Amino acid sequence: MINHHPSDETLFRYANGSLESGPRIVVAVHVGACTACAERIARFEALGGSLLHDIEPEDMEAGSLDQAMAMIDAYEAGRGEAAPAKRLPRADVGIRLPEVLDDCGIGPWRWIGPGVRWSRVTLPDDDSANVMLLKVVAGRKLPEHTHAGYEYTQILKGAFSDARGRYGPGDLDEADDDVQHQPIVDKDGECICIAALEGQMKLSGFFGRLIQPLFGG
Amino acid sequence: MREDEESLSAPEAVRLMTAVAANRDRAAFAGLFGFYAPRLKAFLKRSGMTPSAAEDVAQETMLLVWKKASYFDPARAGVSTWIFTIARNARIDRLRRESRSAVIAEAFDPSDQPDAPVSGEQAIIAVEREERVREALDLLPREQADILKMSFFGEVTQSEIADAVGIPLGTVKSRVRLALGRLRQILDDLK
Ligand SMILES: [Zn+2]
Repeated sequence: MINHHPSDETLFRYANGSLESGPRIVVAVHVGACTACAERIARFEALGGSLLHDIEPEDMEAGSLDQAMAMIDAYEAGRGEAAPAKRLPRADVGIRLPEVLDDCGIGPWRWIGPGVRWSRVTLPDDDSANVMLLKVVAGRKLPEHTHAGYEYTQILKGAFSDARGRYGPGDLDEADDDVQHQPIVDKDGECICIAALEGQMKLSGFFGRLIQPLFGG
Repeated sequence: MREDEESLSAPEAVRLMTAVAANRDRAAFAGLFGFYAPRLKAFLKRSGMTPSAAEDVAQETMLLVWKKASYFDPARAGVSTWIFTIARNARIDRLRRESRSAVIAEAFDPSDQPDAPVSGEQAIIAVEREERVREALDLLPREQADILKMSFFGEVTQSEIADAVGIPLGTVKSRVRLALGRLRQILDDLK
């Protein structure tokens, strides 16, 4: 049962392409497991489709169709010669990761503080995005803190709770700068999440404060 | 060059797409190109691209329509929606390439990943989704519909929206939130 979903604004930005690539992949992980949000995105994309369909057209340059046909010829002639996509290295992190992450690089677990480990997630087309897996041992209480911007955290395994509620597998925690909380991981097992930060802001969110030194914060 | 296509019905677009996917039908592709390329160019310009960049990305998008034709599934999205998502990803890729020196071959799109099979009920919804969203926009108060349309074109700044709609900048964000909530409500009621 999924209880925490991305906001309408976030899904709207996912659909119109303005959500940054880090948060985008975290939202994609959520949507891959949440049919309700998949439908919400499909609606916003349909909004994009209807805007495209109804927009006042603008002339393409002369010869543009011939040019398109020439590109198709070149593509068809070169088919099968394309080198296979380069695979990014993937460490075994101990759980089966969602399919949307199949093309991402996954780093080994690294110690970051008592009871907390992280692994870097590298996007195939944007190595500057701040995306990471985080693993926190059972029962660990994180220091009370506030956020300095948006953090997107999708729970893959285990659960944590704070004043806002309990976040379990499939839940997405979209925490903005107003959130002040003191999360505690469930006693009966470790918690693994995928998290992304929006922009190059100061990191002070749920996991952000722990990993800030890694990004030279 | 040939005249731009004036109109294209949703079923006719699906027929053309299917012909491209199944038979690599170039005449069908030309039909899609005639309708969509000039609209993609306009759409991309409105999203903040220069005319020449918009022309390029419109071309790139149509080439991807040819390449990815076999991924098109009318049970999931209408043709306009599917082509919109390709253009969106091509635009993201282009902006990313411009912002750094390394060149990447093709945009990574999480939505290219295989999905679970579609149920019969979902398939019907997919066909009607564009139509329902259009209907819902018509049911929204004019101001809310305008705000949604404007903010959909990501490059339009909030202050431009504030100017156009004549409301203070600070309230644009909450108006967008309100309009999204109202749109969701209308769509749920239309079901
Ligand atoms: Zn959801």
